[in-house]
Order: sequence, then C-alpha cells, then structure tokens
Amino acid sequence: MSKTLIVGEIQKGGLREATLELVAMARGLGGDVVSLVLGSGVSGLAEDLAKKGGGKVLCADDAALENYTADAYASVIRKAIEAESPDLVLFSNTPSGWDVAPKVAAGIDAGIVTDVIRIEKDGDELVFVRRMFNAKFDSQLRVTGSPKLATVQPGALEAYSGSEGGSVEAFDAGSPQSRTTFVETRTAASGGHDLSKAEIIVSGGRGLQKPENFEEVLKPLVEALGAQMGASRPVVDAGWLPHEYQVGSSGQVVTPKLYIAIGISGAIQHLVGMKGSNYIVAINKDADAPIFEVADVGIVADLFDIVPALAAAIGSAKG
Amino acid sequence: MKILVCLKQVPHKDARLEASGGWIDEGGIKFEINQYDTYALEEALRIKDAGEAEVVVATIGPDRTSQALRTALGMGADRAIQIWDDSLSGADSLTIAKLLAAAAKDESFDLVLMGLMSDDANNSLTGPMLAELLGLPHTTGAMKIELSDGKAQVERELEGGSLQVVDLPLPCLITVQTGLNEVRYASLKGIMQAKKKPLDKKGISDLGLDAAAVASKVTVDKLYVPTKGEGAEILEGSAGEVAQQLVGKIKELGLL
Repeated sequence: MSKTLIVGEIQKGGLREATLELVAMARGLGGDVVSLVLGSGVSGLAEDLAKKGGGKVLCADDAALENYTADAYASVIRKAIEAESPDLVLFSNTPSGWDVAPKVAAGIDAGIVTDVIRIEKDGDELVFVRRMFNAKFDSQLRVTGSPKLATVQPGALEAYSGSEGGSVEAFDAGSPQSRTTFVETRTAASGGHDLSKAEIIVSGGRGLQKPENFEEVLKPLVEALGAQMGASRPVVDAGWLPHEYQVGSSGQVVTPKLYIAIGISGAIQHLVGMKGSNYIVAINKDADAPIFEVADVGIVADLFDIVPALAAAIGSAKG
Repeated sequence: MKILVCLKQVPHKDARLEASGGWIDEGGIKFEINQYDTYALEEALRIKDAGEAEVVVATIGPDRTSQALRTALGMGADRAIQIWDDSLSGADSLTIAKLLAAAAKDESFDLVLMGLMSDDANNSLTGPMLAELLGLPHTTGAMKIELSDGKAQVERELEGGSLQVVDLPLPCLITVQTGLNEVRYASLKGIMQAKKKPLDKKGISDLGLDAAAVASKVTVDKLYVPTKGEGAEILEGSAGEVAQQLVGKIKELGLL
C-alpha cells in the first residue's frame, strides 16, 4: 500500500486551490493520503482540508510558521516525512514550493521532479510527466529510491471536489528556527497600466525584434482595435517595455474577450497568464511554437506582413 | 568578498531543437550561457565593481562548456572551474549540486549566485540543493539584492507582480530572476585578458567523490514533442486574405 504526503499551502488566509489539485493527483494514484498544513492559527484550514479529501491532516500550527521561510518550513516537512514515511511527497510548484522542495530533497538525499503536469503508473512504478525547454517538449521521468518528491504545476489538473471525511492531528512543529528573516510582502507598484479589465489585449514578444517596432508595427493594430498593449517577459527583461505590460505568472494574469499574441512563442510562464482568455489569436512564424496549442486561431507567417495588413483590414471594417 | 557564480551552458535560444532519446540532439547546435545565469554573473560583477571581490565561475559540463566559462571570464570573472566526467551525461540536479558542493566546500565563499532555473531542463532545483549541501541559507528568484553589514536583503518575485522581501545573513546562496539588472557584454580587452585567467578542470575523483556517491536518482526516459490538443485553426492565404478572415472572426465575437 503506497502513501502520499501532500504539503498544503495557504494563501490570503485560505487553502490554495493548488493544494486541492494535489489532493486530486494523490487520490488518482490510489493508496493512503496524508496532508500537512503549516502556519500560525491554521487549525480551521486543516479542518477544511480534512473535509475536502486531504485524508489525515497534520496541523503544524506554530507562531514560527506565520510567514514562509525555507529553513523553518523545510524542518517541519522533514519531520512529517520521518513521521509518516510516505512513498511520494507532493508540493505545488509555487514560489514557496520551488523554494523549499529542493532543500528538503537534498537534505534527505531523495530524487525530485519539478513542475509535473501528470503522474502515470507503469505497473508499480511512477512515471512523471513535465515540460522542458520552455514547453517545447514534454518528458517522462523516473525516480529511484523512496520517498520521491515532486512539485506539481498549479492548474495542471482539476481541484478535488469530493468531500471524504478526514481527520486532523496536531503536529508538533517544535518552534523551528530560521536564518532568513521575513521582512514583508508587497504588491508591485502598478503604473496605471491595468490589463485585468481590458476587453482586447494585443501582446508583442521577442519576435518584434526591437523596441521601436512596438510603436511602429504593434501600436497601429492596438489602436485600430481599441485594445490595450501587453508584452511577454523577454520584452520586459530587455527593458523594451515597463514591467506593468507583462502578461504571465509573474506579471498580470488576464482574461480578455480577445487576446492576440504576436511574435510570442508561448513560454509556460506566459501561457499561465493568458490561457484563460475567451478567444486567442496567435501570429508566429514558427509552426511548432507552443502558443498555437492554446490559441483558437493561428497564423503561421511573418508578423511584419500580417500585422499591418490586419490593422488596415480592421480600419476599413470599422469604416 | 568571495563570490561563486554557478552557470550552465544551454542550447542557444534560437537553435532548432530535435528530441533524441531522453534529451535533444546536440549535434550542430550553438550554445550560450543560460540567460538566468548571465544575470547572476552580472550581479556578481557589479558587486566586484563597487568594491573588492573575487568572482569565481563554475560549471558542470563537457569540453564545449569551457567556451561559456571563457565568456564569463571575458565579462570580468577572475577564475573558472569546469567539472566533467563522461559518466555525468544525463546527471540529475542533485548530482550536479553534490559536485558543486564538493568544489565549493573548501573555498569559503561569502555569496553564491546562480539563475533561478536553466532554459533547457527548467528544473529550478540546483540552487536550493547546493545551499542545503553547503549548510547555507538561501532564497530564490531575486529581483533585487542589496548587501550591507554582513547581510543580503533580497526582493524575491512571487506571482502576479507581488514581491517578498527577506533578509539573509552572509554567507548565503541566492538564485536570480531574469531582468534583475542589465547584463554587460564581454569587451575585446576582456576577451584578450580572459585567455590568461585560470580555468581549472576537475573530474569526479579530483573532488574526493566517486561515481556511486554522485549517482543520479532521476532519469529522463523520453523527450518528445507534445501531442497537440485540438490546437489552433490555422488560417491560410496571403497577408490580406488571412487579415480578412480574422476580421470576420473578430466580428463574430462582437468586438468590431
């Protein structure tokens, strides 16, 4: 009988949706499910997870865990692994998940796979499926030894919606020490370029080749559509446009009625930020670009031919 | 101040990649320093420019990767360490971290920097693993690093544009996000000087390790182009024709 330990995550005073996605994954694999909730004043959330399929929920409720630190969280997760001897430990691939999971893995000399989108069973063996090369390829991986650790991509599967009754057990965190000190969390100043309410977004990527082309090539289309302009991360990293234009997991997550991605290959971090759009158009000269996977309509061509033609056609359609 | 920058050489971002077994076919491909790692190197060089620091770069990789180290030396790093053995082909992140830890453990680095992840495997593992093996505190995804009074204050990137500020005592390990700074190019003079800088090549046994101690636990069985879902409906025709088709679609959405 196998056992999976889920490392739960709390965000804005509630259980993260991603934690319930881990429940779905663990239940899909079968075997025992045990969960760990870490924080301060979190017994209610532990009860909540127990009701939502988390199985036996270990509740590490300790003032030292109020804010995430790698040292304190890793020490409690290791204690839970020692107490439960799971075969598989699941984390969400979030800023705290990818910060703590590799530390735990190295500390207990265990194999780990990150940003997993699926775990398949091959007889008794687990096969971990994840993207590589910025989502250009999928890969299948195997891990030797036990426990095996994995971080799972948020949104890769549906949250568990069942309501099996579990139980909550207090878990002694032991007031773990941390060498790092949490100072504060703050929302990045948005410079007034709020994309979250835009009906139409036209985003440009590295395919536009130089910053002037955002003004000369992209902007006429943006204006013809009455749209807002967005950008991919490489454009912002290169300083072509300010951070407030960035669409993606580390920028703005957008859900317009129409999203047009131009010269954007579709790195996973960008896809996460726009795949909830109602209708997606992709223009890219690389037919294999991952952006075409999430697009409703694609044009495989040189954007410098298509974009001016489109701006003109929209202009005349509007009369 | 003594700084270690760990970097990886990865396929050039514009290289045409073909899957082959558990990895890509590396034949005929151009390589470059992983983008994330270039920002880590730049940050180390800025600390050096602002005061006194020795910047050491290290990589795990075959002969081709000495080119990445020479580039880093040309940008201003002081010396380089290249670790390789043919048995390391396909090594997992924990193996890489163990090798780096063995190379770093007697050097007493004040600061270890590297990218949040590599552009090839996208694992995002080596940094925190190396920190754990060296007994250092760490943080990941830095957008800003300020050093003062024996500590580092780091702004780390969370989701949706928010930031977390953390203080770490030195020595520590920090992985960096892209966009942290503006990365310099190697000057011609720098490239000339780099030829005289030390590049130390080491094997597994030079690090006091044996193959069993650094055996990988994770193997990639297969790398493949994902089976497309329904995918996009691809519009065909001249620029004018596809533009007209798109206008029709946008009208159907009620947006024109």
